[in-house]
Amino acid sequence: MADPVVVVALLLVAGSATLAVAVRDPVRQALVLSVLGVVLAVLFTVLQAPDVGLSQLAVGSAVTPLLLLLTVRKVRRRGQRKGRER
Amino acid sequence: MNGWLLAAAVTLGGGLTATLWGVTTGPLGRRVVAQNLATAVACPGLLLLSQAYERPAYVDLALVLAVLGPVGTLVFARLLSDELTGHPPRAWWPTWTAAALGTAVVLALCAVTAPGRATVKLLVTGALLVGGNVVAGRALTGGIRGVRGG
Repeated sequence: MADPVVVVALLLVAGSATLAVAVRDPVRQALVLSVLGVVLAVLFTVLQAPDVGLSQLAVGSAVTPLLLLLTVRKVRRRGQRKGRER
Repeated sequence: MNGWLLAAAVTLGGGLTATLWGVTTGPLGRRVVAQNLATAVACPGLLLLSQAYERPAYVDLALVLAVLGPVGTLVFARLLSDELTGHPPRAWWPTWTAAALGTAVVLALCAVTAPGRATVKLLVTGALLVGGNVVAGRALTGGIRGVRGG
């Protein structure tokens, strides 16, 4: 753990993961989660695992937020429709 | 510990801490801008890391991030357009600061590496980074009409 860059990346991952849990709104959580994906990719690169970092970038920066936002949108629409029927 | 590693540590530590602070506080528009900024800061950081470890293959990571980061921001701009149209975020100075950072890093690395395919790859990465960043920033501020369709 002598490498300061590793320490910086680990602190960033710990901070962003904690904040992703602490933020309560799902849409804002998706934003923090995409930042967490980028930070995790940096951590993997610093730990000399760029292949893992590549797949983390591909999944974490675009696909996971897209899935989360589409789910939130669908759930909200269903809630609105149920609210109208009542 | 060489100078490149120090520069990477400062860029990543400072820039990503600032984006984390921005992405967890304030109105939604500011959070989306901060998320866009995370890409724009991490990409020069990865380039500096590849130079620090003397592994040119690590540039691929920065290239993938330069392509996919603005895509992620455009996803947010498209799916959150209803919330963002009321208060369009102002993103000019962070966007241009990040673009200047990326340009400076790419030019510094081009000056160090021997001219050839590596230089072309660096320049392509820098162009994608700055271009995608500016496009995503404009989409967030509502400059592109097509994104606003909701």
